[in-house]
Amino acid sequence: MVYIGPLVLGFIMGFIVGTRIKPVLGSKLKFGASVYLVLAIVTVFLAYQQGPFPWYTDSVLANGLISAFAGVIIGKLTFGRG
Amino acid sequence: MSTILKLFVFPASIILICYGALTVLGGHITPGGGFQGGAIMAAGLIFCLIVYGVERSPIKFSHNFMASIESIGALGYIFLGLAGLFASGFFLYNLGTDLYHIIPPVIQNIFDYPDPLHAGIIPYLNFVVGLKVLVGLSAVVITFLKSEKLLKDMESN
Repeated sequence: MVYIGPLVLGFIMGFIVGTRIKPVLGSKLKFGASVYLVLAIVTVFLAYQQGPFPWYTDSVLANGLISAFAGVIIGKLTFGRG
Repeated sequence: MSTILKLFVFPASIILICYGALTVLGGHITPGGGFQGGAIMAAGLIFCLIVYGVERSPIKFSHNFMASIESIGALGYIFLGLAGLFASGFFLYNLGTDLYHIIPPVIQNIFDYPDPLHAGIIPYLNFVVGLKVLVGLSAVVITFLKSEKLLKDMESN
């Protein structure tokens, strides 16, 4: 069974920061969906290498890292658009 | 700053912020916790601020946002302390673990942290401290980066 505590708190922290990611007006540098896709792959790889932090036994991934990244993405998609 | 840095820093700062959140979440078991995790998360933001500048950073912390999160962190800490005081007579008493067996199980279940250690309010304290440190350190750096402009405005006036 996956422990719900790290999932929820990690998601909230990621969400709070994700809401502050805004596009910069007039900038030529765009971070589109492809950047977030690569980031997601890197995060899953990091979470796999990290293992179930801290000394949990519920999964093979660091769930807090995954949920924080999910929070960043959802925060960006909901409040960080404009 | 160079284009290579500008391409690299934003994704790296997202990873740093997630890693900081992970450090906060392990604070009740491992070295780390609210301050260290909050500082790592703030480092992610500071990385962006230094490379892109305050005005053009993709992660923007406004004054109102920082004031709100700082207040939520401080009030959350005080709330957890006062909850222990009213329920047990001890300020910051760990209601989730209840070492003295003086708390009704209903209250204990509310403040329980759902993981195998059942560390009570400690992870929640780490969480609110992490939020406070994140915006606190960010506010210091934003103030420093904006200080030149502020000084110029003061001199011109």
